Amino acid sequence: MIFRIFRKELTDTLRDRRTLMTMLVIPILVFPIILNVFVEVSKSFEESASAKVMNIGIVGDNHDKYKIQLEQLPRTLGPKKISTFKDSLQLRKAIESKKIQLGLIIPGDESLLRDQDQTIDLKWYLDASEVGHSQRAQAYGASLQSMAEAERLQKLGIKQEQINPLKNSIINCASDKKMIGQLAGGFLPYIFIAFGFIGCMYPAIDLFTGEKERGTLETLLTVPISHWKILIGKMLVVVCSGMLAATCALLGLFISIEFLDLAANKELLEVIHSVLTPTFIISMFALLFPLVIFFAGVMIPVAIYAKTFKEAQSIITPMNILMVLPAMIGFFPGIELNLNTAFIPVINVVLATKELISGSLSWFYFSCVFGVMCLLAILAIGLSYKQFGKETNILS
Amino acid sequence: MISVQQLNKTFTLSKQQRKELHTKDKTAVAVQDLSFTCQSGRIFSLLGPNGAGKTTTLRMLATLLKPSSGDIQIEGINAIDNPQEARKNIGFLTGSTGLYARLTPVELVDYYADLYGVDKITRERRKEELFHLLHMEDFLNKRIGKLSTGMKQKVSICRTMIHDPSVIIFDEPTSGLDVITAENIIKLIRSCKDQGKTVIFSSHIMSEVDLLCDDLAIIHQGKLKFLGTMQDFKSQMQSDNLTEDFIRIVQA
Repeated sequence: MIFRIFRKELTDTLRDRRTLMTMLVIPILVFPIILNVFVEVSKSFEESASAKVMNIGIVGDNHDKYKIQLEQLPRTLGPKKISTFKDSLQLRKAIESKKIQLGLIIPGDESLLRDQDQTIDLKWYLDASEVGHSQRAQAYGASLQSMAEAERLQKLGIKQEQINPLKNSIINCASDKKMIGQLAGGFLPYIFIAFGFIGCMYPAIDLFTGEKERGTLETLLTVPISHWKILIGKMLVVVCSGMLAATCALLGLFISIEFLDLAANKELLEVIHSVLTPTFIISMFALLFPLVIFFAGVMIPVAIYAKTFKEAQSIITPMNILMVLPAMIGFFPGIELNLNTAFIPVINVVLATKELISGSLSWFYFSCVFGVMCLLAILAIGLSYKQFGKETNILS
Repeated sequence: MISVQQLNKTFTLSKQQRKELHTKDKTAVAVQDLSFTCQSGRIFSLLGPNGAGKTTTLRMLATLLKPSSGDIQIEGINAIDNPQEARKNIGFLTGSTGLYARLTPVELVDYYADLYGVDKITRERRKEELFHLLHMEDFLNKRIGKLSTGMKQKVSICRTMIHDPSVIIFDEPTSGLDVITAENIIKLIRSCKDQGKTVIFSSHIMSEVDLLCDDLAIIHQGKLKFLGTMQDFKSQMQSDNLTEDFIRIVQA
């Protein structure tokens, strides 16, 4: 009989446009599109910034030398056009009026300082609010610096090795998989937790508060079926919706990576493929399942208690922040899964998933997190049952 | 048959309810020491003004609410100790009954038939009978949300009758319905009586009660004010008007 209730509620839910939007359309279509647009826009900003012709103005006695050196810089540092100005005032005005983007002021005693092997103080002027200008100035400055260094070392007859007695090389022993797990691993659990919660939200409100409001619950409770069977049948639909929304979000992310070139880097793509093993997927869903039951079990008592759809929505929406905010913990480096964090709901799943991606999740911690979440899921079901059994809650 | 003995129902009031009702009492008595019997093949009417305790009484009969004390027998089954067994015999219809707007009438009736454990052959036969009787053939596969109030009322009747219950409970069944739509309910109540079923319905409309009922109970503030046949009531009337006498009894 639970399955019959589940089947009817699922049919009913799948015919609700609002639920379909949050469960399927947003995660599978809208989310990848937004993600892709975001990546493409930032990529095109970067590209247009690097392809932009930089007009550089130079002021100073020895400007010809610097003009030649700047023109000799490799094209990879971006195209440039160099002009000279009489004084710094004119140069600043040109930057303000956007005639030029960078201004270089060479000190008046540049030749003297050079001859005396002193430090020459070059001043770069720019509008830092413009994207990419600071980076270009730094790149040009660094190139001029290395050219001047090489010139001075040659003049003094010193080899580079003589002033650099040590060379430090840092070798990363962590696998690419682990690096991805640590740097980007927080994103994946955040996505499935956020969508898992949103996926549960509308069916929970619709199947409990909605039924009460529409006057269908009263009739349903007169059938010769125990209340717990009705509750479980309905709850299964809420859990399925949450799981489906989370799965669709992950599918949307996968589509973005595979077909929309979200991860343009080939090596990164290979690492992602190596992460997506059947064991990883099964383990991830094993963590997700009790978490979604927990979400459903937390939302259902509220939905049963609320008298109207609006009231339920106004209580559950802030709960969304309360549940999804801890999911952001995965974005912070240094927070690890240990015997303390393994017992904090939501956070434990985030950290476990992160370690799962890195390939460093031990069976002990997996069991701890899974056990804790199952226990919380059972408690949440119990809470839902208690609320569903209250006469004052189920009858309007 | 329905047998009710010394039925009581007390609700615990929340702080907000106490504030709304301007009372310091932590409980509210909805039904007090109510006893009556509804016989098979007769129509029993529960009459009372708003807030008299009619809906609470009928909800207890339908096993939606648990009485604070007392006894309810539905077709000889103790409805308090064995509510699931009692529900198999009950059809419950209220004026505020909602339907699943995203399902079709066929899907809804099938769903309730399954929940009542009606076997497939009986279900198909009952569906055919009810759909034909209520002239529902034209809108069987349309979503309920798109149906008119009259059509929805017919679907509600089918839903209530699909398991062929022997006891039918109607809670203000015609409330909010126009005369033509209410006529379907009146016909249904009469047809149930003809089939020998036990019918109990609540109302605060005296003309409707006069039209249908055989036996009558008037309740006010949860207490029984009158119990007898409609003929008894009429013979004890002190005026020519049923409503006036109803008010007199309530205010006594």
